[in-house]
Amino acid sequence: MTARRADPDVTVVTGAAGWLGRALIAALSDPAGPHHRSGEIRALVRHRCDAELVVETATAVGHTASSGTRLVPVVGDVRTEAGLGDLFADLADQGAVDVIHTAGVIHPRTLSDLVEVNARGTEHVAAAARAAGARRFVHVSSNSPIGTNPHPDDRFRNDEPYHPYLGYGRSKMLAELRLQDEVGRGLDAVIVRPPWFYGRYQPSRQTSFFTLVRTGRFPVVGDGRQRRSMVYVDNLVQGVVLAELVHTPPGRTWWIADADPYSINEIVATVKAALGDAGFDVANRQLRLPRAVSRVAYALDAALQRSGRYNTQLHVLGEIDQTIACDITVARRELGYSPVVGLADGMAASIAWCVEQGIEL
Amino acid sequence: MSDRAPAELPDHVDVLVIGSGAGGATTAAVLAEAGRDVLVVEEGAMVRQGDVVPFSLDQMDRQYRAGGVTAAIGRPSIAYTEGCCVGGGTEINSGLYRKPPAAVLDRWRRHHGVADLTEAALFDICDEVERDLSVQRMPGAAIGASEALRRGAERLGWANEEIPRWMTYTSADVSSGRRQSMSETYLPRATSAGAVLVSGHRVDRLVRRHDRAVAALVSDRAGRTSTVRFRDVFVCGGAIQSPALLQRSGLRHRIGRSLAIHPTVKLTARFDDALNVPDDVPVHQVTEFTPDLSFGGSASSPGLIALALSDHWSRFGDAIEEWRHLAIYYAAITGEGRGRVTAVPGLRDPVVTYRLTRRDAALLNRGLARLALVMLEAGATAVYPSFRNAPIVTARRDLATMQALFAITRVSVMTVHLCSTVPMGGDPARSATDSHGLVHGTQNIYVNDAALLPDAPGVNPQASVMAVAIRNARRFLDRAPS
Repeated sequence: MTARRADPDVTVVTGAAGWLGRALIAALSDPAGPHHRSGEIRALVRHRCDAELVVETATAVGHTASSGTRLVPVVGDVRTEAGLGDLFADLADQGAVDVIHTAGVIHPRTLSDLVEVNARGTEHVAAAARAAGARRFVHVSSNSPIGTNPHPDDRFRNDEPYHPYLGYGRSKMLAELRLQDEVGRGLDAVIVRPPWFYGRYQPSRQTSFFTLVRTGRFPVVGDGRQRRSMVYVDNLVQGVVLAELVHTPPGRTWWIADADPYSINEIVATVKAALGDAGFDVANRQLRLPRAVSRVAYALDAALQRSGRYNTQLHVLGEIDQTIACDITVARRELGYSPVVGLADGMAASIAWCVEQGIEL
Repeated sequence: MSDRAPAELPDHVDVLVIGSGAGGATTAAVLAEAGRDVLVVEEGAMVRQGDVVPFSLDQMDRQYRAGGVTAAIGRPSIAYTEGCCVGGGTEINSGLYRKPPAAVLDRWRRHHGVADLTEAALFDICDEVERDLSVQRMPGAAIGASEALRRGAERLGWANEEIPRWMTYTSADVSSGRRQSMSETYLPRATSAGAVLVSGHRVDRLVRRHDRAVAALVSDRAGRTSTVRFRDVFVCGGAIQSPALLQRSGLRHRIGRSLAIHPTVKLTARFDDALNVPDDVPVHQVTEFTPDLSFGGSASSPGLIALALSDHWSRFGDAIEEWRHLAIYYAAITGEGRGRVTAVPGLRDPVVTYRLTRRDAALLNRGLARLALVMLEAGATAVYPSFRNAPIVTARRDLATMQALFAITRVSVMTVHLCSTVPMGGDPARSATDSHGLVHGTQNIYVNDAALLPDAPGVNPQASVMAVAIRNARRFLDRAPS
C-alpha cells in the first residue's frame, strides 16, 4: 500500500492555461470529481486572457465561489525570477504548499524558447518553490529526454540513460538535471514523464491530427508497426496527483502512460473508428510513406534545429517512424497508479469534447 | 585421455568426426559408447587445463584460431574468436551454461520447421549434460566485478541471474574451482570407449561420389597429406569452419549464407575497490532485456584492458595504471543482420562478412548506454566505452553525450557466438540440412555443431550445441544400425 499525504493548503500550478494545466485545474476544482480539493489553487498563466480561460475551465466543471476551492489565477512568466514574484508571494503562513510544474513549450516559435522556458523556467520555479518551503514539487517532463526505442518491441524501463531527441529533448533533459540539482539542495521534487497525450483541452495541433486521420492524410510510415505509448489526459492527471501526494523519496521519476503502447496502425484505426462512430465522414484511403521519407524529414529537422529554427511538420514527420514506448510497472507499484481509460474510449471522449466545443475536425 | 598423434592415420574408419569442440566431442562420445569405430580429427593442439593461464594473451596465442585475431568484413568489421584446440571453444570460454530458452525452441520448430525438437526431450538431454559437466552455481561469493554488475542491476530493478558454469569445486573457496570442458569430460569418454583422437590435423576436403562422401583429405602441420576413408562423416568444425569445409567439398545449398551472431560492444568501468581478478570472469548476467539484449562481464587481464581502452587511448590510456580497479563488461544483442562464410580457393581461411542493420546499431548504442547506467548505479567512478572518440562517463548526464557520439562505424564490435551457417530445418528450400543435421542431397554427411542452430539463441549457445548434437547422434544410431 502506498501512504498518501493530505491535500495541501495551497496548490501552485504553472502552465495552468495549457493542455495538462487546464485538465488539472478542472480535476482539482470539480466538486464532484475524485481529485477535488479544498484550499487555494494558484494558477500561473502568461496573459490576462489566459486567466479568464482558467476560470472558465473550472466553472465549466461546476466550480463556484462556494464549492470549496479558491482559484487564484496569477499572471507571470517562468523565464525570469521576477516573473514568479506574485506566484510565490505570501506563502509563509499558508500551511502546506505543493507545486505542480506543467509549464513548457513543445513546438516553439524559435529554438531558444525551448531552453528559456523548459530548462531555465524549471530552474526558476524549482528555486522559488524551495525558497517558499514547498512540501513537494512535481515536474512534468516528457519521453523526449530518453529518446526513441531501438526497435518496436523494446520498452523503456523506469530508469533509462538520457538520449535526448533533438532540441526539445535536450531542453527537457536539462530541466530534469537542474531539478535534480535542486533535489540535492533539499527540494522534495519528483518527475513524471508522460508520452504523447490526448483528451480534453487539446490544442489545435491535436485537432489537425484528427483531421489528417479523418481524411486519410496522416502519414503512416513503413509498416506502421512502430509503437507509441500515449496517455489519456485523465490518466495523466491521476498520475500527477499521485506523484504529488504519495510518500516517496525525493528525486524519483516515473513514466505515466496508458497501460500499454499502441502501434501506429492501431492508433490510426482507432481514431478512424471513433470518428466514424461520432458521425464523421472518414476516408477509406490511407497515406502510406516509405521510411526513407521519415529519415529525410528527421535529417532536415535536425539541420534546421542546428541553425536555431524549427518546423513542426518536419519534426512530426521525422519522428513518426520511431517507436517511443515505455513500461509503467514502477509507477503502478510505487504510486498505485492505475490507468483506467484506454485508446478507444479516450479517443471517443476527445472527439466528443471537440464537437462540444464546436471545433471543426 | 589418450592424446596420441599417430604418425599415420587409420586408412578406414566407421565414423569420422571432424572437430573436437562442443559438437564433435559429444558426437564422438555417443557414437563410440555405442560401439562405433570413431576417429576424431582436430586441427588445433592439445593443451591441458591448467597448462595456460585462463583468459590470458598466451592462451589466445595457443588455443584460439589465428591468435584470436579474426574479423568479419563489414561496416564496421566485427572481430570474432574461435577456439582452435582439442576441445574447441569449451576449453577457453567462460564456461557459462544456459539452456536454450523454450521460446527459442518454439521458434526453431515453427519458423524453421525443425521436427522432433520437443522441449521435454531436449531438456532431458540438457539434464544429462549438466550432470556430465557438473554445471553448478558458485559455492561462495562471485568475484567483485560480477557482484558489481549484480548490484547495479538490483538498484535499477533489472532482472539478473548468476549463470551456472561447468566447474567443479573442492571447497567453498571459489578459487578451488576446476573448469570442466570437452577435454575433461566427453573426449576422455570417447577415447575410453575406443575412439581415436588425432590433434594437429586438418581436413582439407571431403571426397564425394554421387550423394555420398567416401573419404577425407587430411593434412598435418608439416603439410603431409593423407586420406581417411569412412562410412559416415560428422562435420563439427564450428560455424565458420564447417561451412567452409562443405564448400571446399562442393556443397553449397544454403551453406554459409546465414551466419547469425550476437554482436557485442564493451566498456571498461573503474571502481574504488581493487576488484580485478585477471584469471576469472564474472558469472552474473543482466537478463532484463532478453532475448534482444543482455549484459555480462568479460575477462579483464591487463592486456585485455589495454585493448579495451585502445579505442580512445589518448584520453583513456592513463587509466591502465589502475588496472586492478578496472573491469570489462559487454552488451550483447541478438543480431538481426546476417553474414556469409565463403571458402576462397587458395586461402586457408574462409572470407567472413557480416552486415549490421539499423536496428542492430540502435540497439548496440542503447545497450551500451544501459550497461553504463548499470555501472554508474554499481558505484563506478568512471566508465570508458569502447568506441573511437568516446567520452569518459562519470555521471548520468554524460550518457547523453556518449549516445550522441556513438556511431556504428566507430565501434569495436566483436562476437564469440557464431552460428547458423548450415541451418537445420524442415524446408529443404530454406535449410542446409534436415531436422537432424543430414546435409540435403547427401546420404552420409552430417553437420553437428553450432552451424546447425537455425538462428542465434540469444543466450550462450554451447548448451544448445551439445544438447542438439547428442540428440542428433542418438538419432543417427537409431537410423543406422551398425
